[in-house]
Amino acid sequence: MPCTRLIDTNGGEKIVTSMTAELSPVRKSILPKGGDTWTSIAARELPGVAEADAVGMLQSWNLHVFMRAAGGVGRMRGDNPILPSDVIFVEAPRA
Amino acid sequence: MNKNTGRMDMYDLVIRNGRVVDGSGMPAFTADVAVKGDRIVRIGRVEQAGAREIDASGKVVAPGFIDPHTHFDAQLLWDGAAKPALSHGVTTIVSGNCSLSLAPLKAEHRMKLVGMFNQIEEMPLKAFKEGVVWDWETFPEYLARIRKGLSINVGQLVGHSVLRLWVMGEAAMERTATDAEIAEMQALLRECLDAGAIGLSTSYVDMDETLKPVPSRYADAGEVEALAAVLSEYGRILQIVPEFYDPDLTIARLDQLAEISLKYGISTTFSPLFVNADNIAAVDRVMARVDEQFARGARVWPQVQTRPIDISFSFAVPSLIFIRLPGWYNIMRFGTPEEIVAAFAGGESRERLIAEATPMMDLWSFLKLRQVASEANQQYVGKTLAEIGKLRGVTALEAMIDLSVEENLDAHFMAENMGHNEDGKVGSLLRHPRVHIGASDGGAHILSFSTYGDTGYLFGHFVRDAKLLSLEEAVKKITSDTAAIWAIPERGLIAKGLIADIVVFDPAAIDRGEEVYVQDVPGEGSRYVRDAHGVDTVIVAGGVAWSAAEGYTDDARGAIVPPAIAASAELEAA
Repeated sequence: MPCTRLIDTNGGEKIVTSMTAELSPVRKSILPKGGDTWTSIAARELPGVAEADAVGMLQSWNLHVFMRAAGGVGRMRGDNPILPSDVIFVEAPRA
Repeated sequence: MNKNTGRMDMYDLVIRNGRVVDGSGMPAFTADVAVKGDRIVRIGRVEQAGAREIDASGKVVAPGFIDPHTHFDAQLLWDGAAKPALSHGVTTIVSGNCSLSLAPLKAEHRMKLVGMFNQIEEMPLKAFKEGVVWDWETFPEYLARIRKGLSINVGQLVGHSVLRLWVMGEAAMERTATDAEIAEMQALLRECLDAGAIGLSTSYVDMDETLKPVPSRYADAGEVEALAAVLSEYGRILQIVPEFYDPDLTIARLDQLAEISLKYGISTTFSPLFVNADNIAAVDRVMARVDEQFARGARVWPQVQTRPIDISFSFAVPSLIFIRLPGWYNIMRFGTPEEIVAAFAGGESRERLIAEATPMMDLWSFLKLRQVASEANQQYVGKTLAEIGKLRGVTALEAMIDLSVEENLDAHFMAENMGHNEDGKVGSLLRHPRVHIGASDGGAHILSFSTYGDTGYLFGHFVRDAKLLSLEEAVKKITSDTAAIWAIPERGLIAKGLIADIVVFDPAAIDRGEEVYVQDVPGEGSRYVRDAHGVDTVIVAGGVAWSAAEGYTDDARGAIVPPAIAASAELEAA
């Protein structure tokens, strides 16, 4: 179902609500939760899809994140390239 | 007694017989405008004399222009007129965009911020070293510092990245903030807003000098919302730089902004929105979403710049135009001038550079030579490298290299109209009621292109030549509309009782001049600028700050807008 985003100021959790009548459907995306990785987003947003496949899909839909150098050795973000501010698409581009 | 008219002076300034375009969008009308102190006191037939009189016959009298997207933060420390912005009729600038402001800033973070300004806005390190006396840390201290000698009004945003640096130190570039840190950022933002900050800026794209994301990009949505909640207390704006290269990402960001706007009742703006031949459909999608969000009651103003994208460079400083050519970028970034000349002059290094750049011959052929120092090469100025190469019997690429060697790297080339040059589409966007004209980036990228003269280009190109906007529409867009979007009080209109920020210009002549490379940056630094054409007089708070006849004056009446909260309370009470 098409959706819009609302943000809970307590902890930055996203709340997905059903779309209001005024908004057209757009490509579905989320804002990451604290500590999110490709795997955790895949498990939450693409349930029922095998983990490796789901991660591969997410990465291909989010090249703006996937192609970014990760935090680097010794950095707190380790090899996770996802920034807390990123938009993560959870579906392919619409035709 | 006025010695010219023989009449008693009743006003400090009278502008006579001008065509008043008052900023409201209403049709122009002929009238005199009288000023007393810093206020417009009469519009119509003015019998009494002014201590100073300006004959505006045949000229337009308009509110001073407001430029909402600049990076004059550093320049204001040595130049209170934000030259040459003021001479173009811009009487108010907004600085501190894109998550970067010079305050609040602890001493230990100064060089970090200088690095970010250098990387993102191309402000030379030497200008900071030789032009800046670091005698502030807090936001009020910074405002007090720049307020001295201001000829132009300044709306100063608070940069989200510097808020994080102040509160979190190095961790600002590593992780999300804790609840306690967010609360501290909220308190710090309140202190800034109390002092007169115009809003908050954040960025979702920018990288620091080590090519790591800037601190604002380590904030989660909850942190941004917590800061928006503070903006809501003051009715202040949130500015962001979205991932403008991708329409789906831009739409996702404007949806995020719309929710913030609705939830907290604040104005928001994102910049830039560019139009190119290959992305018109994408821009239409973004604008359709903007329309839908406005229809819901949200305020999400896309900023569209007037000028096409031109990129200028010499080989004396690194240029992003070479970023996809590692051999070239490496020598420009890390080589001394002598090493660059040696690499260009001949031998294996020259052959290697030519081989690397030859696949881009179409680009080199299209470049124009804009400026040289030697008399011998003046004959080539204004010609494309393809034309110069033909005259010299070499390729365009070889012509570029040879001219650079002959000029000891002081040869300047320009790639004109590299983007944002679909006139019809850009014009329709500039007219759009939900588009905010801005994104000039004034004061930034000073070694890549001139960020001055966008207002002249608006009137010269889109109003006078292409006739895509009326004069009244264009003036309204960059005066009262901007003042309303940014909640700037008492400015943006020619109206009785408002502050007298006024520009007098010739509608048949206003334009931006040719881009030139000048040395006027501290530390013997240089930058690309454009002079103003057709602007007659620029008045700030009733004082002539610049005129074509006098140039810049010493009448420095620029202010911080909005005023500090205490002053605002007095205003409301009055």
